Amino acid sequence: MRTLLVWLAGGLSLAGSIQVAMANGWNMPVGVTELSGNIHSLHMTIFWICVAIGVVVFGVMFYSLFRYRHAKGAKAANFHENIVVEVVWTAIPLLILIGMAVPATATLKQMYDASEADLDILVTGQQWRWRYDYLGEDVAFTSNLGTPRAQIRGEEAFGENYLLEVDEPLVVPVNRKVRFLFTSDDVIHSWWVPDLAVKQDSVPGFINENWVRIDEPGVYRGQCAELCGKDHAFMPIVVHAMEEEAFDTWLADRRAAASQEAQGIDREWAMDELMERGEQVYTAVCVSCHQEDGSGNPPAFPALAGNQALLDDRDRHIDTVVDGVSGAAMPAFRSTLNPVEIAAVITYERNAWGNDSGDSVQPSEIAERLSD
Amino acid sequence: MATNPAPKPVPQHASTAAGGLAEAHPERPSGLLRWLLTTNHKEIGTLYLIFSLTMFFIGGVFAMVVRAELFQPGLQLVQPEFFNQMTTMHGLIMVFGAVMPAFVGLANWMVPLQIGAPDMALPRLNNFSFWLLPVAFTLLLSTLLMPGGGPNFGWTFYAPLSTTYAPPSTTFFILSLHIAGISSILGAINIIATILNLRAPGMRMMDMPLFVWTWLITAFLLIAVMPVLAGVVTMMLMDINFGTSFFNAAGGGDPVLFQHLFWFFGHPEVYIMILPAFGIVSAIIPTFARKRLFGYASMVYATAAIAILSFLVWAHHMFVVGLPLVAELFFMYCTMLIAVPTGVKVFNWITTLFRGSISFEPPMLFALAFVVLFTIGGFSGLMLAIAPADFQYHDTYFVVAHFHYVLVPGAVFAIMAGVYYWLPKWTGHYPHERLAQWHFWLSVVGVNLTFFPMHFSGLAGMPRRIPDYALQFADFNLVSSLGAFLFGASQLLFVAVVVLCVRGGRQAPAQAWEHAEDLEWSVPSPAPLHTFETPPTFERPAH
Amino acid sequence: MWEVVKSVLAAFFGVQKEQRRCEDFQHGRAAVFITVGLLMAMLLVVLVALVAVVAAR
Repeated sequence: MRTLLVWLAGGLSLAGSIQVAMANGWNMPVGVTELSGNIHSLHMTIFWICVAIGVVVFGVMFYSLFRYRHAKGAKAANFHENIVVEVVWTAIPLLILIGMAVPATATLKQMYDASEADLDILVTGQQWRWRYDYLGEDVAFTSNLGTPRAQIRGEEAFGENYLLEVDEPLVVPVNRKVRFLFTSDDVIHSWWVPDLAVKQDSVPGFINENWVRIDEPGVYRGQCAELCGKDHAFMPIVVHAMEEEAFDTWLADRRAAASQEAQGIDREWAMDELMERGEQVYTAVCVSCHQEDGSGNPPAFPALAGNQALLDDRDRHIDTVVDGVSGAAMPAFRSTLNPVEIAAVITYERNAWGNDSGDSVQPSEIAERLSD
Repeated sequence: MATNPAPKPVPQHASTAAGGLAEAHPERPSGLLRWLLTTNHKEIGTLYLIFSLTMFFIGGVFAMVVRAELFQPGLQLVQPEFFNQMTTMHGLIMVFGAVMPAFVGLANWMVPLQIGAPDMALPRLNNFSFWLLPVAFTLLLSTLLMPGGGPNFGWTFYAPLSTTYAPPSTTFFILSLHIAGISSILGAINIIATILNLRAPGMRMMDMPLFVWTWLITAFLLIAVMPVLAGVVTMMLMDINFGTSFFNAAGGGDPVLFQHLFWFFGHPEVYIMILPAFGIVSAIIPTFARKRLFGYASMVYATAAIAILSFLVWAHHMFVVGLPLVAELFFMYCTMLIAVPTGVKVFNWITTLFRGSISFEPPMLFALAFVVLFTIGGFSGLMLAIAPADFQYHDTYFVVAHFHYVLVPGAVFAIMAGVYYWLPKWTGHYPHERLAQWHFWLSVVGVNLTFFPMHFSGLAGMPRRIPDYALQFADFNLVSSLGAFLFGASQLLFVAVVVLCVRGGRQAPAQAWEHAEDLEWSVPSPAPLHTFETPPTFERPAH
Repeated sequence: MWEVVKSVLAAFFGVQKEQRRCEDFQHGRAAVFITVGLLMAMLLVVLVALVAVVAAR
């Protein structure tokens, strides 16, 4: 009796500490959507079922190991078959599983119903960033890792959202059904935000679908969840969920900014404007391979600083950025960056780090090049 | 199962498989040539086991590099490109170079002994099957030194990361897998031919030890799925080198086709890696509980059920790839079903313990740890089967925790249990008990420190295959890395025990373990190079 | 034949009286059991697939 009480006390305190631990960054989040809550419930249900089975099974096992020790002179019994017991312990797990299958099926069906969405967003995975296209809204941008490389190398202290911050987050409204369409420009990536319980592979050449209806405004962070090359760990996702009105305002502003950027294609840009914009783009998009100081990592990632061959051939420089290099790691940026960004980053590369070529590239030139 | 009368005097050949010369083959080569050309199942078994132990340490070193980089947030030791090579090679070496060859080695040594056969049915094929492996793995390991580095796309090598975007060495990686695959297929053919044809007279199928049963079924699985792997890697080869588009959407193909084909191989593959472990544990527990295995027939049925069902669950590795709803449901239901026969086996082992008379020699320690820790791995597997929940688990450390629990304190502990159990038969000495106990306890602590926190880091949101991580995962990773270093170092004790045991130790009689059944315990310890040249009379126990 | 089906079902479930199994092995032919087993496995697949189709509606 006393042993039983000791076991019970031990078991309860273990269960209690598990509960505490789980509430403090050790467990799957409940999340901020109805679906994420359902998934969390399914997870907890199957978890406690496993705990219960474990307690019984390991209980019998450890009891046997203690009670029937040879050293204590236990004599082995002689049974090796029992139809009733075997039927019962096969039937009970079967019934438990059938029981679990019902709510699991219901939740899965909910997840698969992306119909009647209020907003459609095309999410394109690229090595190594995400591109977001608000379909039908004329708003599109890429979202790059925002953590400075110096932090990764240990030269600076870690920021609070180390590896979970971006230069431009995805902005969505709460209380509206947002449908995501997923694809990729190169290898398979996977878009995952735990608080939204959305994870879907981005497969090149195919389109996958998922959806979310967020209940609470806030900032939700996630990461790429499919090995996609060297910077798989460095292409996070940040979703900023806003109240509906705030979102509508944001969307309108963003559309205006995009069209301003588009208008900027036609005008003449001054050198210092190009350099400033170019440095921004370079830091967000190019440093992971070519480094902040342009030294790259030859032979896979050529140096840009002091690269005479590049400086001597302006056309080739443009071609490389716009169309990439076939058979090498350099991707084509024609659909990732707009003409202003491309012109600016090339200008920056031709003048930074002592390159000082004096060359500049105008957005209009790139726009024409892109229409070839 | 056999309870043998006092062993009949066996014609003795004064040799052991572990050393010494045989008198029966006067022109038998010695030294290196002997090991190169041997067709003896004991010597080939030893070769497989030594090869596997070497690969275990190589794969282990790669894991140490991974865990050293993951010790703290930030990139301190290696670049992401190299880190990806380390995780990939760790997986490939452990799966194809350590676990599978270890089980084949144990099969080679023990299946003929357990069925009363003089050797495997196809001894020269047996030799060839083994020697393919050092070739395959020298080639695979050499890719690390090639320009562009070795495979860096995960041991599951999904396309197009492994085709269009892969390093030049990938073609050699494919060749090495082909060679290893041929080795497995030929070995499996040998096993089936041996078990079906060379059993001692009077030994019916339902009299065979469970280790033999599990290997018979595993061999069928190997023959069914290794050709599928060969097909996938050949399609990769075509895409990389000959301009085809099996896995390239731009050419009309489909990257997801790769995953279907790979996992149709891959899921039975993981059962290939665990069924022999079930067989080993089913031999050890009855011996040290001094009680017959509970429910022998249902253990056989459960093994067969698991094998058949293993062909019906492959897409549970693909729940987030964009399958149609019906497919997702089908695979969820089948995956949940397969938990039942697996659970039944655990119940059978525990019921064998119940009201037995249990002692705790080293093989038993590992077998008992297997039952507990494999079951924990099974629980996380059951959680993964719930498809909607899997959207949160997939490609996180929760999955890494699951498969390492079933493979390390699962398959690897079972292999070590088998080694400790059968070392007296192989060498004539008992393994050093104290050292083995140290090995056991350090391994148990190490393995749990390494892999238990991974459940939490996965649930907290840490993806797989990343060299650097966000700050909320730091504590879990610290503990995991410390555990990994402990576990890795402890395996040196295992090497020490094995080497010491080969060289000497407390003498072991033929019946090395008091209550061990099965035919291998009727031959002397150490087992002579040639055993059962005349088939033994097999008497089955009264039902 | 019904006896064979019952035994195969029992094998799927995993539990059967040892005595019944002995009788099967004594008086039955392996080929029959294996064939029926394979057919019933295919039936199982069809059944689970049907459940999945119905559940998805």
